[in-house]
Amino acid sequence: MTDEASVKQIEAFAHPAAQAALGVEGGTTGWKGELLHIHIAPAASYEMEKLAVATCVAGRGIEGDRYFLGTGTYSTRPDVRQITLIEQEALDALARNDPPLQESPVVLAPEEHRRNLTVRGVPLNHLVGRRFRVGEVILRGGRLNFPCKYLEKLLDRPLFLPLYNRSGLNCGIEKGGIIRPGDLIELLD
Amino acid sequence: MSDRLIMKLRVVSARLTTPDVLVLDLQHPKRPLLPAWTPGAHVDVMVAGGVRQYSLWGDPEDRAYYRIAVKREAGGRGGSKWIHDHAKEGSELHVSAPRNHFGLDGKGGRHVLVAGGIGVTPILAMSRALAAGKADFTVHYCARSASEAPLLDELRTVCGDRLTTWFSQQGRRLDANTLLAQAAGAELYTCGPNSLTAALETAIAAQGFPVELYHREHFAALSDADFVPDSFEAVIASSGRTLHVPADRSLLEVLRDNHFVRGSSCEIGVCGSCECGYVSGDVIHRDAVLDLKARASRLMPCISRARGTVTLDL
Repeated sequence: MTDEASVKQIEAFAHPAAQAALGVEGGTTGWKGELLHIHIAPAASYEMEKLAVATCVAGRGIEGDRYFLGTGTYSTRPDVRQITLIEQEALDALARNDPPLQESPVVLAPEEHRRNLTVRGVPLNHLVGRRFRVGEVILRGGRLNFPCKYLEKLLDRPLFLPLYNRSGLNCGIEKGGIIRPGDLIELLD
Repeated sequence: MSDRLIMKLRVVSARLTTPDVLVLDLQHPKRPLLPAWTPGAHVDVMVAGGVRQYSLWGDPEDRAYYRIAVKREAGGRGGSKWIHDHAKEGSELHVSAPRNHFGLDGKGGRHVLVAGGIGVTPILAMSRALAAGKADFTVHYCARSASEAPLLDELRTVCGDRLTTWFSQQGRRLDANTLLAQAAGAELYTCGPNSLTAALETAIAAQGFPVELYHREHFAALSDADFVPDSFEAVIASSGRTLHVPADRSLLEVLRDNHFVRGSSCEIGVCGSCECGYVSGDVIHRDAVLDLKARASRLMPCISRARGTVTLDL
């Protein structure tokens, strides 16, 4: 395990993307979403492991995850990666081959996409610079996730273009706690 | 970081096939099917302090198991000893998804396969595929004796009378020149110690055997004890930045220090993970992965170096 000091994280709202969105009105409100799956991996390239319950630590990450431990592919790069989310709706669209960017649908199982939380009914692209809660945990949207060639190589499937602009949200943890699949997700401000 | 998924697999069977070769059957504890592979593929196994490559010798159609064979290398770097000491029935090994640098190229024609000792593993998987495809093939297996030839029974079952054994304790040694003369026009695949591949390559050069028909897998770094590394400069083509690579450091280490993220695994030039393009420069290739054509524009920064300045396609 790496000690906390070597885990380079940017506070979510200090990220330029969040800075630009903070204090600017707009985005969808009044929605209610659900946490479907929780996954973590102990280190870069390791298979994601499904959790029935996870402990989120404010300012650090999910206990046991590579970005909590400092063992992730991008751990040495200062960034917002305490917890990452992706929309089930985006995965459903890939599975329908919508839009048809490649020959056939891309089925990405919840343990494959390497984001920590798979959620439904949560407009992630509206949550940069916003606070929202997952059960008792409060997250801050820092920046949109960007698809990486690394994932494409790891899974040997075309993913870069299909995930473009719907690759999820990288967040900081403002208030830690316990989360479980089924937890309610809603906007705080 | 590897660019292949690493899985925590369970050892479901561990048995010695010879006094120093441990055969392991690995299964995913949560999934019925492991990632698919083709004959000639290998996996990375994480060991204390590093990573080792092992060919899969089982049947690719049976995706419930990966089968590997690990020879205890007394003079090795300690990885095989670690596996022999730690891999027991029920224990866990961290294993990557397979990669293949040594695949059958799918052409019809005749195939001649040559295995030396533990190099039998990919040859066994290839033999099974060729036998299933009713291909014209022969297999030559070199070892000290039958009792020291890993997986000999399995190879016999697959090959029947297509197998010729060469056991040096019986005074039978494979003659590379005779073999090549018999292999005229065939695709030649070999995996074994450097002494075996060196003998074949000498004969290939002497007889003018077409190099495009020759395929080899290395599981040891090329031996070049006389090589003295020198410092050199690496220029990043996209930015023009120059990085100094001291004599006692690898290009891979220097790239990493400067935040160029590269996958790597074996770090002795046999796995191909850290492959990088270059635009110009006098590169000293020391890997066992890239063929001559690839070497014109690709290099393995874990082990290969340059004279003077090399410009990297980064």
